[in-house]
Amino acid sequence: MNAIQIKMREVAGQLLSLGEVDRVIGWEKGRFAHQSPPAFITDETKVERLIWDEYCLTGTAKYLLDDPYRAGKTGLFARGCDARAINRLIQDGQVKRENIVIIGICCTGMSDSVSRQMAAKCCDCTHPTPVVYDLMIGEPVKPVAKPERFKAVAELEQKAAQEKSEYWTRQFAKCIRCYACRNICPACNCRECFADQYRVGWLGKQHHTAENQVFGLTRAYHIADRCIECGECARVCPVGIPLMELNRKLIKDIQQLFGDYHAGVDSETAPPLGRYSLDDMEEFM
Amino acid sequence: MALMTEANWEPKVLAFCCNWCSYSGADLVGLNRMKYPENVRIVRVPCSARVNPQFIIRAFQRGADGVLVAGCHPGDCHYSTGNYYTRRRFLVMKRLLEFIGIESQRFQARWISGAEAVKFRDTVTKLCEDIKALGPQRKLRDQK
Amino acid sequence: MHILAKANLIEAIERLVKEFKVLVPMQYDGVSRFSVWGSHGMQAFNASNTLLPPKDSLFPRTETLYAYQVANQEITGVTVRDQAEHQIIFGIRPCDMQSIHCLDDVFLTKGYADSYYHSKREKLLTVCIGCTKSEPTCFCESMGINPAGHSGADIQMNDLGSGYRVVAQSQSGQEIVEKWKDLLSQGQEEVVAASCTLKVDMNGVPEMLATLFEHSLWQEVSRKCIGCGTCTYLCPTCHCFDMDIQNQGNQGTRFRCWDSCMFSDYSRMAGGHDPRPSKSERLRNRFLHKLQFFSERYGKSLCVGCGRCLIKCPVHVDITLLIDQVRKEAAHV
Repeated sequence: MNAIQIKMREVAGQLLSLGEVDRVIGWEKGRFAHQSPPAFITDETKVERLIWDEYCLTGTAKYLLDDPYRAGKTGLFARGCDARAINRLIQDGQVKRENIVIIGICCTGMSDSVSRQMAAKCCDCTHPTPVVYDLMIGEPVKPVAKPERFKAVAELEQKAAQEKSEYWTRQFAKCIRCYACRNICPACNCRECFADQYRVGWLGKQHHTAENQVFGLTRAYHIADRCIECGECARVCPVGIPLMELNRKLIKDIQQLFGDYHAGVDSETAPPLGRYSLDDMEEFM
Repeated sequence: MALMTEANWEPKVLAFCCNWCSYSGADLVGLNRMKYPENVRIVRVPCSARVNPQFIIRAFQRGADGVLVAGCHPGDCHYSTGNYYTRRRFLVMKRLLEFIGIESQRFQARWISGAEAVKFRDTVTKLCEDIKALGPQRKLRDQK
Repeated sequence: MHILAKANLIEAIERLVKEFKVLVPMQYDGVSRFSVWGSHGMQAFNASNTLLPPKDSLFPRTETLYAYQVANQEITGVTVRDQAEHQIIFGIRPCDMQSIHCLDDVFLTKGYADSYYHSKREKLLTVCIGCTKSEPTCFCESMGINPAGHSGADIQMNDLGSGYRVVAQSQSGQEIVEKWKDLLSQGQEEVVAASCTLKVDMNGVPEMLATLFEHSLWQEVSRKCIGCGTCTYLCPTCHCFDMDIQNQGNQGTRFRCWDSCMFSDYSRMAGGHDPRPSKSERLRNRFLHKLQFFSERYGKSLCVGCGRCLIKCPVHVDITLLIDQVRKEAAHV
């Protein structure tokens, strides 16, 4: 059994038995070897369910929104991406830091459940070590810049308008409007999504390419400066739409236009589209 | 409003104009007996920062061939800072639209004051000409 | 028995193209589904199951019901859009064939036939290919389905290696086989059928579920659910829909489109009340509909064991694990 898993169970058991938290969120084994879905443990005798292996892909932080007014504290196992997600939720006023005990895990990357190679979202990870934590398991590693994660975006930018349009039309033609991308996303924390307010007319319920595009683009723009690059949207998409390419395009432009910004690395610096500078680039004169 | 056929196609251009500057600028075009293309439909908004970027996507989907967002010059916003946010938002939005294959001429943002009738006229005239040259926008359209 | 050599498969399909819209399993851009013969992509007759179910050929994602115009505040020119084409689903698997039977029950029985579904169903022919291999997620056998074939298909085919055994199971199936006459040879070969490795015990589960409506297991199972619609939209039998209108200028259409009981706005009523306010109620409803309500009403399971939701659920909510758990909990009640 791996050292992280032993430590996880130990820490969870302690926190629960001391009453510091009344539940922990980690991962457990699913039916198949390549499935490690999230686990919710409230009983210290059940900590043996917790596991740590290369398929712990699902983010844990978004689950904090399920019952925002619950009384007890939650012990949350958090990898680098989960820690940024927690900052995201704190900054967006969704959760209170004092209600969470963050058990950081220094993550070395997960495997894709189909290809068994390192998962795409982990290949592009810049902060494998949690940026915020109360307890830490494992040896921290420094953040890596990974400018190569913008490569696909840069290549697509070079293409002709027609080609770009055909590419995205083909992608959104596949969309089945399951909203898994939205529901898994820690930046998608609106109490009611515009996509659910269809009587208002933001978005039609029709399943066709045009409406799918309106949904996808609006969602991408809405999280533009708040995306923490966890890559969960692209991972959960059942039809494989490269949603991170849209997010990365926005992140890349925002960095070029308004300076270096990494969402969720801290919970203080306001997202770039929520502030301004008098010296911003002028293109509209 | 009959459906336009390919042969008699005329561009539809949607212009979001801020109430305090650009809308007055457009008004002044008429007061000065100048003309601007009939292809432009103006939507008056309290501030250019009121323009939700989704409005642009939705306009293209529902049949606009071009979209203009016009607001007060930086420093002149009726609400002091609205157009600074507009500037950030649409710098990013413009690039996103290009990324998904919308020609850059189809979406524009401009600062047009209440006194700049000529600038309004010239901006929309140029916009309509550019879009006429490009042809109908079908990429985000409902009916292709 | 009739055997269609694999070399003749394309010719056999080509003969149908004139009269029918032929849908075959295709892989394109990372997604497998039933697409029109000749469209982009790779044929996937050997793959066990398509990612997207074939239900949209009978029950489209978005379907225009009627169109209208408005003149002087009066509605004029209402045109009902209810034209169906002759379609063949070629290469449907037994689990998906069973799903069409479930949809038939919903849309055609109990005193009301949905005309939009009915007109398409009447003009649909099905060619079922029995499975020779099963995926680890397949559990159709546990749902009472035979992986070797389905008696409801118009034509039943079975892969024999070099060719397919062809059996017409209906009048219209017979007519198709007539067209293939010169392509078919005679022979005797053993039909090999797959056997599912994943097994669940469905015996008595509907009755057990009836006693577990208020049980805490629903809270527990739903905790990890993210409330997306992946399971319902990939499910071959889910059939919930919503209706709305789209207006543009002086014309408009009324359409219906797929909807999902997993969504927060699905059961919300006009006054704002939602009888299924959280994901545990929604998930319970989905599973009870699959495993209890449908069998009470129509005498069969609404889960056909195709395994799509097991594969694609982002957080691995697993209906087979749920069934196991239901058995366990029911033993305690």
